[in-house]
This record gives sequence, structure tokens and C-alpha cells, in this order.
Amino acid sequence: MKLHLPSSSKMPIRFRMPTAENLIPVRLDIENEGQHYKDSFTWNPSDPDSEVISFAKRTVKDLKLPPAFISQISQSIHSQLAEFRSYEGQEMHLKEKIVPLKLDIRVNNTVIRDQFLWDISNLESDPEEFAITLCKDLNVEDPEVGPTIAVCIREQLFEIAIQGVASARESRVGKKGRRGAESFLNSKMSNSSLDLAKLFGSKGSVVRKRKDWYLYEPIVDILSNEEVEALDAREERNARLKKKLDEKEDNFQERI
Amino acid sequence: MTQCVDADLSTRRFRERELHTIPISSSWFKWDEIHEIERRSLPEFFDGGSYSRSPRVYKEYRDFIINKYREDPSRRVTFTEVRKCLVGDVGTLRKVFLFIEKWGLINFSVSNGKQRTEEDGGPVVVVEIGPAAGLKVVPTGPVSSSTSSSLADATQIGGESGFRLPPLTSYSDAFGEWKPANGLICGLCGDRHRSGLNESFNGGIAMCSKCRTNETINGKTDVHLTPPNDHADVKDQSSPVWTDTETLLLLEAVLKHGDDWDLIAQHVRTKNKLDCISRLIHLPFGEHMLGTISAKSSSTNLITPLEEYKSSLQVLNDNPPVLTEANGDRPVETEGAEIAFQGHPLKRRCFPPFTDTPDSFMKQVASLSTVCGPYVAAVAVDAAIRALGQENPSARLVFETNRDKFSIPVSSPFKNEFKSDIKVEDGDAKGNKQAARVPEKSFGARTFQVRAAIATSMAAAAARAKLGADQEEREMELLMASIIQAQLKKLQYKMKYLMEAEAIMEKELSYVQQMKSLIVEEWMNLLQKLFHSGTLRWGDQGFPKPLIHSFSTRGSNF
Repeated sequence: MKLHLPSSSKMPIRFRMPTAENLIPVRLDIENEGQHYKDSFTWNPSDPDSEVISFAKRTVKDLKLPPAFISQISQSIHSQLAEFRSYEGQEMHLKEKIVPLKLDIRVNNTVIRDQFLWDISNLESDPEEFAITLCKDLNVEDPEVGPTIAVCIREQLFEIAIQGVASARESRVGKKGRRGAESFLNSKMSNSSLDLAKLFGSKGSVVRKRKDWYLYEPIVDILSNEEVEALDAREERNARLKKKLDEKEDNFQERI
Repeated sequence: MTQCVDADLSTRRFRERELHTIPISSSWFKWDEIHEIERRSLPEFFDGGSYSRSPRVYKEYRDFIINKYREDPSRRVTFTEVRKCLVGDVGTLRKVFLFIEKWGLINFSVSNGKQRTEEDGGPVVVVEIGPAAGLKVVPTGPVSSSTSSSLADATQIGGESGFRLPPLTSYSDAFGEWKPANGLICGLCGDRHRSGLNESFNGGIAMCSKCRTNETINGKTDVHLTPPNDHADVKDQSSPVWTDTETLLLLEAVLKHGDDWDLIAQHVRTKNKLDCISRLIHLPFGEHMLGTISAKSSSTNLITPLEEYKSSLQVLNDNPPVLTEANGDRPVETEGAEIAFQGHPLKRRCFPPFTDTPDSFMKQVASLSTVCGPYVAAVAVDAAIRALGQENPSARLVFETNRDKFSIPVSSPFKNEFKSDIKVEDGDAKGNKQAARVPEKSFGARTFQVRAAIATSMAAAAARAKLGADQEEREMELLMASIIQAQLKKLQYKMKYLMEAEAIMEKELSYVQQMKSLIVEEWMNLLQKLFHSGTLRWGDQGFPKPLIHSFSTRGSNF
């Protein structure tokens, strides 16, 4: 059975998340008056914008945060939504591309590291289902882990989807110096995706070599409370240092 | 429902052939082919639209997953294990995995408590039936609904994981919570009360203060409040265990002193007054004793009918359980009490006669249980339990109408305790809150008790039914075994005879063969003689007569 070459790309579609449900990942990291609010979740961009403010109010009420957070939360969500919307008008070309996605997350006491392959042209993919299966198979008890995994996957998919659009835009504009370099970068990215012809062609095998199995195996670590606290402290320190460095750089830049 | 499929692992030679079971609906599966069902369910592999999805790829995925499972069929293989070994989009892989699992080609022989099928959405809810789905001694409307709902649960679950009958009530379920140490149990939530129990009654059910407040919130009627009892406190502080000797002493004392709790407590040296009372109430026939000893009103002497019962009820049990159906509560309990009293001298019964004749009823039930098979009895018990649950309100009504009659004998033992004017005929709650409380209180306990008795009796009947069923099964097995044995013996004999016959036949055969060879020899001799004697005229004259003669004589020797 001769496999005819698939068409170079599917019909271009309007920009959207390449998953079954068009939900975008939202990440919040707000610090104010000593209170630090970090969260990540999925948002449905077709929800009316009024939902944002009511969500912010509800969150602040539930978590007993100071009211100043309301405006900050809704601002953050709005800006992320706007970023998504800025791409929405464009078309994206979804070529069949299987990319490795990575997970390296810590949720309360659970640390998960994993990598797996994802076909971004598969518009029926479901990060939530994947997350649920993963948690179930690995007997993860913390219910917060699943959603975090799903958001992490969505973020990576979003990044890749943006590149799809951006590169298309770039290539249409034409190659010029710097822009050429960017498109070169983009093709480098696509190299990280699988060489489909080789693997799935007649000579390749779809079963991985046994010695490589461990690379694609999820690793789950349960940390003790002390380790969690230590890691949290370290992260805070790093974040603060980074902020200071950024500020210094900004000042430096301004002077220049 | 299964079909065996030879697993021919492509990585190994044909030396080992294993048997795996898959559902019969999946018999289309073949290692070497891709079936139409697969093509239809996973079209993305077969439409030639992509590099990464082709029939070859699909086959590799499928074969790998199935082989992975068959490496250890007793263990469930998870998607995560499999996807680390295969190259390809995890979404697509998952589709393949689910497809194969749905058709039972993997994870089929794994014992599973929670089985996820494709239909299940998110988390699987495992419904657990608590112990005693049948009866619990907490008589209210809520319980009857929970009983029926848990029964419904049982049948629902039965659909999923095989049919499961609701567990039969056992003595421990009915009486498990009745240890005197626990004191009284709230009728609704089953909590053991600590100090400061507020017993309030809603239709004769004791509730703890929590439930009472809930009930009032829910707008239930007739909540009578009682002050916390030192009664209860003292009870809680008592030593919990009643030994046999103490019980014996108690019973003796009750019979001797009747009403006088001080004397009884004296007799049972180690227990105080209230302990004795509570213990007596909690004994299955205790309340009857109370009635007996304080009997003043007319009593029917049922000693003679008792003898008749004894014989018919020998079948049933040694303990005071009594077979009953929903309406026969009251009379049944007293009957049981009677029988339990076999050792004790029977006093007058103070309960006035009832409208339904307990005599024939009991007899009927007893004879019925022996006549019909054990399974029928078990089913009848189930029905009785359910009926009891449904008929709670009517049973309660019965109690309420009879209240006045009973309050007389019952309140008198408590007279000494509370030392209040008890106007029992006056049912007016306003002026006689205390009076009303007293009969109610013991009433509540009595209600409990009746139900306890019923529970025990049904439990006993059910247990007997089960035993009977077991016995029948064993008998059946025994009979089967003997039948099989008889058949085997028959076969053996037949074989023996056949073998003998064969031996005989063989002997005959050899004999015949011998004879044949002898005859042939003679024939040869005769021919030789003939030739020697030179007769050449066979052709026209036939066989020479003397030869024929000698030949025929030879022939007749056979």
C-alpha cells in the first residue's frame, strides 16, 4: 500500500487552540502588600468579558485577599486574553507536526517530570483528558495536579501555535536580514519535531527502543513538607533577585 | 461469554502457545489482519492523510499494546506505561488504547474493583453498601427510605459487577450497638450520646440533641423536650459489662422483688438501680418481665398454648427470636418472651388480648417456614423486612392507640424513680408533661426493643434459611457425587465384561484359526493321496465317492 504524500498543509484555519476545546491557559502571579497570589487555570475566550471581573471578585472573596487584588487579577487576565485575541484574526497553517512537550511542575507536594509527543495538527487532542489519565495511572492523589498539568500543556501548545502564525506572517512578509534569522530560528524549532518521513516510513519502527523508554516515562516525586518549604523559599528568593536585576537593567537601559 | 485466542507472540517462536480470553464479541480480531471494525473506529489511520498514521503504524501500535498486556495478563496495563514505549501523538495513541480496551483485547482478565469503560466520564464513583442493608435498629421514616435505597443500590451495582444480594442481617448488626456501655443510641443518626443526652421524641423515637435541632429546623412536628437526664449520666458512668452471673441475679431479683428496684439493686450487688433497669429493658424479654411482675390487670394465661408452640417452634431456635410479619409485632414479641421463659416460672401476662389472634398466626408462620423451602423462607423474610419498613407509620399508630393501655403497667416501675403524680389516663400533654414523658420515654425504649426483637427474629430466620440452603446444596452435591460414582461403576463393569468377552473371542479366534489350518492340512493330505492314487477322472466323474465320504466325516467333526 503506497502511502501518498499528504497535502503539504491542511486548509488554513482561524487561529485557535489546537485542542478539542478552545480554552486558553491563564497564569496569574501577583504580589501585593506582602501577599502572593499564584494561580493557573484555563479560560474560555468566548466568555463575555464581564466574566473576568466577577471571577476576580469571587477569587478575592474565596481566598480572603485584600481588595486591591481584584483590579490586578482582572487586568492580568484581560491582558492575556488580549494577547490571544491579537492572533485570532489571523490564519494558521497546521502542518502535521509532532513535537515533544515537557512537564516539569511542582504542585504542593507533588513533582512531576515527563515528556511526550503531541501532534499539534490534531484538533481533537484533549490536554485535560491526558492529565486525568496521567494522574490516574500514576495514582496521584492531589487533585490540584491534574489541572496544573493541563494548563502547562496548553501553554506549550499556545506557544507553538503562535509560532505557526508568526512564522507564516514572517514568511509572507519576505525574508530580510533579521527577519530571515527569525524564520531560520523557526525552522530550527520545527527540527525538534519528529522527522515523520523517517520514523513512519517503511523502514522505521514506531516502537521505541527499550533503552529509550525511560526518557519518555513520567517521574513522580512526593516531597516532604520541609522540602516543599525549602523550595518555596528558594523560589521566592530567586524571584526577588530577578526582579532586582531586571530593575537594574531597566535603569541601565534608560541611561543609555 | 469468552473465547480462547491463541497468542502467537511475534517476537517468539511457536514453542509456547498461551491461551488468553477475550470477549466473544471481539472474535473478529486477528493478528495478521486489520478488520473492518478497526478501520471504521479509527479512520484517521486509514485515510492516507498523514505520515504518522498509516495502517502499518496502527498495526504496530495495536500489536505492541496487546503484547504488553499479555506479558502479564493478571495486571492491568495503563496507558502511561504504553505511551512511553511508542512514538507518536499521545492523543492518537490514547484513541487506539481506548479502542483496544473497549473491545476487551486488553485488561479483560484483570480483576477490577473500579472498572473504567469508555462510557465513564470523569472520576468513577464507587458505591459502597454499608453492613446490614437489611435492618438496622433505628426506626424512622428516613431509615426505611435508606433501606430501600441501599437495596436499590445493591441491584444497581449488580448490573455492573455481578449480582450481589444485600447482606443478611446478623445478630451483631441488630444487637451490635446494644451494649449497655453505649447507652442509648440516637434513633436518627446512630450516635452514641455522651453525657447530657436530650431525648426528644418524634413519634416515639429517641434523638440526640443534634438531630432534634435538625428536626425542628426541618419543621417536624411534636418535638417534646426533656431535660438532660442524670439517668443517662449515671448510666454512662456504670461499668459496662454485664456478666452472666449478674444477669442471672438480676432476673432472680426481678422475679422475687418485682417492682422494688432498690432491693433488686441490692441483690445484684455490683450494679446500681438504673443499671438494672436499663439492662432489663435491653434484654429481649426484659420489658415483658416488667409487665409481668407488676401485673395487676387481667391477664391471659397462655401456658397451654405455649406448650403447643414449643413443639412447633423447636424447629426455629433456642434464643428468643420469633418469626414475625409486619403486623404481628406486639403479640410476637410477647410470644417470644414466653418461649424464652422456658426456664422461668411463668407469671400472669398483663397485656390485654389483641385483636388479631396470635395463636393461629404464630402457628401458621411456624409451620409455613418448615414446609416451604429455605429459599422461599429467605425471600419471605426479605419481604417482611421491607414491609416492616414501609409500614412503620401504621405500626406507630398501633402503638399510640395502645399507649394508654400500656402506660399503666409500664409507668408503675418508674413511679418510684420520678416520684411525680402520674395521671396516665389524662393524655393531655400540657398539664402533664412529666407524665407524658415517662410513658414516652420507656415507650421509645420499648419501640426500640420491639424492633430489636423483630430484627433478631428475622435475622435468625434468615440465618436459618441460609444454613438450610447450604445444607441443601451439600446434599445436592452428595447426590451428584453418588450418581457419578454409580455411573462410573457401571462403566467399569461394562468394560470388564467387554474385556472378558474380548478375551473369549480371541481364544475362539485362535481356535478357529487352528481348526482352519488343520482343515487345510487335511485337504492337502487328501489331495496328495488323491494324486498318489492316480485318479485323473475328476473332470467327468466328479469327486470320487470314498474321498467325499471321508471328507464329509472329517467335516462333521467341527
